[in-house]
Amino acid sequence: MTRLLVGPFNRVEGDLEVSLDIEDDAVASARVTTPLYRGFEQILVGRPMADALAIAPRICGICSVSQSMAAAAALRALYGVARAPNGVVAANLAHAAENMADHLTHFYIFFMPDFARAQYAGRSWHEAARRRFKAIEGAAANEVLQARRRLLEIMGILAGKWPHSLAFQPGGTTCAVDLGQKAQLVAIARDFRRFLEAIVFTAPLAVPLGLRTPEELERYCEGKGADGDFAAFCRIARALDLENLGRAANPLMSYGAYRGEAGAFLNAGVFDPIASALSPLDARAIREDVSHAYMRDGPEEPSLARTEPYVDKPDAYSFAKAPRLHGRPAEVGAVARLAVHGHPLVRALLERSRGSNVFVRVVARLIELAMVAEAAEGWAKALALNEPFCVVAPHDEDGDGVGLVEAARGSLGHWLGAQKGKIRSYQIIAPTTWNFSPRDASGVAGPVEQALVGAPLEGHGAGAASVQHVIRSFDPCMVCTAH
Amino acid sequence: MAAIETFYDVIRRQGVTRRSFTKFCSLTAASLGMGPIGAAKIANALETKERTPVIWMHGLECTCCSESFIRSAHPLVKDVVLSMISLDYDDTIMAAAGHQAEAILQETKEKYKGKYILAVEGNPPLNEGGMFCIDGGKPFVEKLKWMAEDAMAIIAWGACASWGCVQAAKPNPTQATPIDKVIHDKPIIKVPGCPPIAEVMTGVVTYITTFGRLPELDRQGRPNMFYSQRIHDKCYRRPHFDAGQFVEQWDDESARKGHCLYKMGCKGPTTYNACSTVRWNGGVSFPIQSGHGCIGCSEEGFWDKGPFYERLTNIHQFGVEKNADEIGLAAAGLVGAAVVTHAAATAVKRIVSKNNDHSA
Repeated sequence: MTRLLVGPFNRVEGDLEVSLDIEDDAVASARVTTPLYRGFEQILVGRPMADALAIAPRICGICSVSQSMAAAAALRALYGVARAPNGVVAANLAHAAENMADHLTHFYIFFMPDFARAQYAGRSWHEAARRRFKAIEGAAANEVLQARRRLLEIMGILAGKWPHSLAFQPGGTTCAVDLGQKAQLVAIARDFRRFLEAIVFTAPLAVPLGLRTPEELERYCEGKGADGDFAAFCRIARALDLENLGRAANPLMSYGAYRGEAGAFLNAGVFDPIASALSPLDARAIREDVSHAYMRDGPEEPSLARTEPYVDKPDAYSFAKAPRLHGRPAEVGAVARLAVHGHPLVRALLERSRGSNVFVRVVARLIELAMVAEAAEGWAKALALNEPFCVVAPHDEDGDGVGLVEAARGSLGHWLGAQKGKIRSYQIIAPTTWNFSPRDASGVAGPVEQALVGAPLEGHGAGAASVQHVIRSFDPCMVCTAH
Repeated sequence: MAAIETFYDVIRRQGVTRRSFTKFCSLTAASLGMGPIGAAKIANALETKERTPVIWMHGLECTCCSESFIRSAHPLVKDVVLSMISLDYDDTIMAAAGHQAEAILQETKEKYKGKYILAVEGNPPLNEGGMFCIDGGKPFVEKLKWMAEDAMAIIAWGACASWGCVQAAKPNPTQATPIDKVIHDKPIIKVPGCPPIAEVMTGVVTYITTFGRLPELDRQGRPNMFYSQRIHDKCYRRPHFDAGQFVEQWDDESARKGHCLYKMGCKGPTTYNACSTVRWNGGVSFPIQSGHGCIGCSEEGFWDKGPFYERLTNIHQFGVEKNADEIGLAAAGLVGAAVVTHAAATAVKRIVSKNNDHSA
């Protein structure tokens, strides 16, 4: 058996290292290391609780709105207030813009360029993939960055700037939209939908959104969608059998996304891909294990937990803690959200593979992109200009609040405790902490560590594309992981 | 003699048209405040001088600077500058990985000794021997020092590299340290902000790669062209500050009328940056325009100057005429002495103009 170290990774948010044990030219076991730590949970303690709204988003420059939403939700729970309905819609729209930008960036800038690798030279699809998706040089990057820039103007209008927007408050959003701005928001959302229809799906959104079975997906990729980048991915995925790469069969968890007066746009819950069974989410069953994290031992319940680094700890190999739901790892992200929500195509693909895999993770991301793009246009139109965007939140000085939201990469939770108006404790569990979790005290590996097992290296060792596909299918965001 | 590779050669090879190139030069000249001859100067430099490689490294950070940068307002600026940086090395978007990527650093260091720019996003944490930011098996601080040795100059992107930013806020668990405290023998240009504005970043990198020297810097090492004025100086809500019209609560009637956010904790009067002139996301807006105060993210140590939302309870309703001075004085403890000076100056101006009114 040999051991390989993969890293430093490129096209990943933050630093990441992966250590692989190799047998018979395939991965026998994997350890995922998050090698950076800044100490947000330590920095937040003792500050005025509302300052969490400015500090917590700085955890990540890619999903800062998600962090804002979680901090605002935790404060809202603590205050016991509801948001102004317009504030809910505006926040959903802004959050959708960020999440869509993330999905788009992941697909085009981080994930697809690996198919342009020299390792694949000679494959029938390689030359086309190289021309379209190669990092920096591929034709797609220009179109995508342009569409993304335009999409993020939504953030400018609703939240002043992006990244690190400030407009999200416990009672709503600070920016009351006027008629001109509303017209702009609707136009931006519409332009983005058109971009997806023209470039990604080559069909009206209703077509990809209507796909219910893997067979329908195949027919779409040969027919209406054939010229789009989504179909290009599906064809490469079939050629490389990505449905049998990066398989993991953990419970799929979602906190529920884009809440509104009528409930969440995407439901909360836990889906078991082996039993094909859905169960309600009990967030009180979440614990954090630190047996292999460079952290001191302490309570495992997030609301009581402390985060104190201990870099000389024996057996530790990552700054990430190991979150567990009912004692088990859980996979989070678009595939979990759509599985929990009951999307037929995603459920069918999960059933066929008896777990998640590289293919279904990417498919779910793109289907979700289409779903949210369609909804976002409706949200922009739903803003009621003369109604309030923010209500005054009475400032309770003591208590606890939990904010659970869905970032692009999956479930994000903030657990906040306050005393005399100051933050007494703050604990964050980010999506990538779930997916890139190290082993726990029982030796159970996290989802990515499990998914890497069996990946064929085909003689390429640490440079094998298969390893890159598996890791990137989870869209790692390492600065969130250990924050 | 072997032909040198100019920046112009590179972008032409990548399919950027002559017309687009000219437009890029004039846009950049405008953003740098260089006037009509500036565009020709930039064009000439880019066509004749050897291309300056840029290496973009990441320490302890959140990548907000890169995110800000790659969605520059003008798509062409983005193309051109992205081509410029990515040709060599960039953690976030490059194709190369692992050892291959490390080799690019080594090669640039040797081939362009003393000629490349090192752009650094984030900072090195020094606690525990640098263990809190390990890059390729080594502490980031080592990689930073190693690449800085042969650089022409260093750009400190954002508040992290310039001042330390959020991870250096008390108690700074990792001992995150601004790069000028670690690198002493190279010119360093600070481009603070959390993140900096995209156009400011592209302006700075273009200036340096074009002219091969740093723009004029202030005493704190920031380029004057973008950091010589306070947010407050060019804020469109400024007349309401002077008139004593203030927002009292998010989205109240005053907020909808665009009144001043000073009482909501706005740090615009003590923050030097270009937000109120250049604005964000393609000039669409900036935080104050979305109804939220400035938190002062480009200032040194701003995280420990909070609270960000503390409301000034000792200010009551008062007449329109003299309140700016009162507010300035009442807020002095919160926002700092600069406001007192500023309020006094405002008062003097008002007195002068009043006298003029009387005499007219």
